[in-house]
Amino acid sequence: MASKPMTGQAFFVLTALADRPRHGYGIVGEVAELSGDRVKLKIGSLYGVLERLTAEGLIEPDREEARDGRLRRYYRLTRDGRRALAEEAELRAATARVVRARLGPAGTEAAG
Amino acid sequence: MSSHLERRYRRALRLLPGWYRQQWEEDMVAAFLDSWFTGDAEADAYIAKAAGPSWAEVASVASLAARLYLTGPGAPRRYAWGQAIRLAVLAVTLVQATRGLNVLVQTTWSRHMFSWLPAAPASIVAATPGGPWPPAVWYLVAYAWIVAFVTLALRYYRTARVIAALAIVPDLGQLLVGQFTGRLPAPYTGPWAFWILLNLAPVLAMTAFHRNAPAAAPGPWLLALPANYFLVAVPLLAVQATGNSAWLPDFSGLYCVLVALACVAHAATTRSRHTASSGVWSLTLVLLAADAGAYRIFSIGDYLQDPHLITVSLVELLILTAAVALVAPDAARARTATPAPPPDPHTMAA
Repeated sequence: MASKPMTGQAFFVLTALADRPRHGYGIVGEVAELSGDRVKLKIGSLYGVLERLTAEGLIEPDREEARDGRLRRYYRLTRDGRRALAEEAELRAATARVVRARLGPAGTEAAG
Repeated sequence: MSSHLERRYRRALRLLPGWYRQQWEEDMVAAFLDSWFTGDAEADAYIAKAAGPSWAEVASVASLAARLYLTGPGAPRRYAWGQAIRLAVLAVTLVQATRGLNVLVQTTWSRHMFSWLPAAPASIVAATPGGPWPPAVWYLVAYAWIVAFVTLALRYYRTARVIAALAIVPDLGQLLVGQFTGRLPAPYTGPWAFWILLNLAPVLAMTAFHRNAPAAAPGPWLLALPANYFLVAVPLLAVQATGNSAWLPDFSGLYCVLVALACVAHAATTRSRHTASSGVWSLTLVLLAADAGAYRIFSIGDYLQDPHLITVSLVELLILTAAVALVAPDAARARTATPAPPPDPHTMAA
């Protein structure tokens, strides 16, 4: 049976955690940067994604740090999360190659 | 002390289910405040006093809450009812499968297919079914219920639905033909009640079985078929074989008595356990009792000429009602039963 497709938000969140663990707002900032400010996660949306990814075993809590009297919880990718992200990146890259091939040079120039 | 900004955001978070807030609220608040504060004390003091979550932020919390309530583990009422309906459908299909098994045994026995068995007594020799269809159709219908039950228990839901839906068609045809040709005795309520309550209702309710629904363990249900046959059908067959059929209740009465016994047994078990019951089984028994009771009431129409049988039917209803009263309070609690929330990932990782 095919696995569930990964949503765009989940893909960005996993990518944001690929190089190092981050806390909630750190993920929001990283996702905004990765997407060129096209994806601006609201906190409610972010925690919906974090809850789902945790339940699926793709991310897990890393550590907690106190700052300004508040506890910041950091999240990191699990081994399954790393594998899922790599597969999704490969799928997206393959799709992008197909798109470029179908558009041809004219389409690529128009986009540029 | 919490700021005005924090209090307003926490108020929005109250939209979320309790178990979710317990696991994620502090984290969400910290991330939310991080998104506002700049690190400049003067600016932050002003923000903490004057700012509040935007509509888009509140909408994202509301959207998360809707998803959690509708599809998350905190969908209590739907969960309890869905579970109870699935269990009740399995139970009714089990009853039909036991009837099918009974037809199979009676037919094979009365046709001397087991040479080592003595000849079947005349009182239990299976009569050739009548009606508009050839006898083979009725045998197929009886055996189809066995297959429908087994496939349902083994989670081949679509196959079970198709087989059960096909199995109820000949009965409907016989009812319609019987009613329009006058072959069926008025007031027709008993046969129609049987078809609606024990054929159509379980087939329609089989839509409650879907891929995402928690499945019942197939082992105990598959064992329930031979168990039900040996504990219920065989003793009845034995009484029938001794020629004392007059002492046996009709099918409707038997259905009432069996559900009543199940209610008493379940109530006794629940009380002896001293732990909170989920109430789902009690709700299942209430649903079965409603089905059995309705069938008993409508099938009284078959006995309008016999006051004694009407009295027996009313006593059966009384027994059923008294037994249901034992599980009804627990069933009412099932409306608030929840499956256990997912384990807190934060404590798991600790």
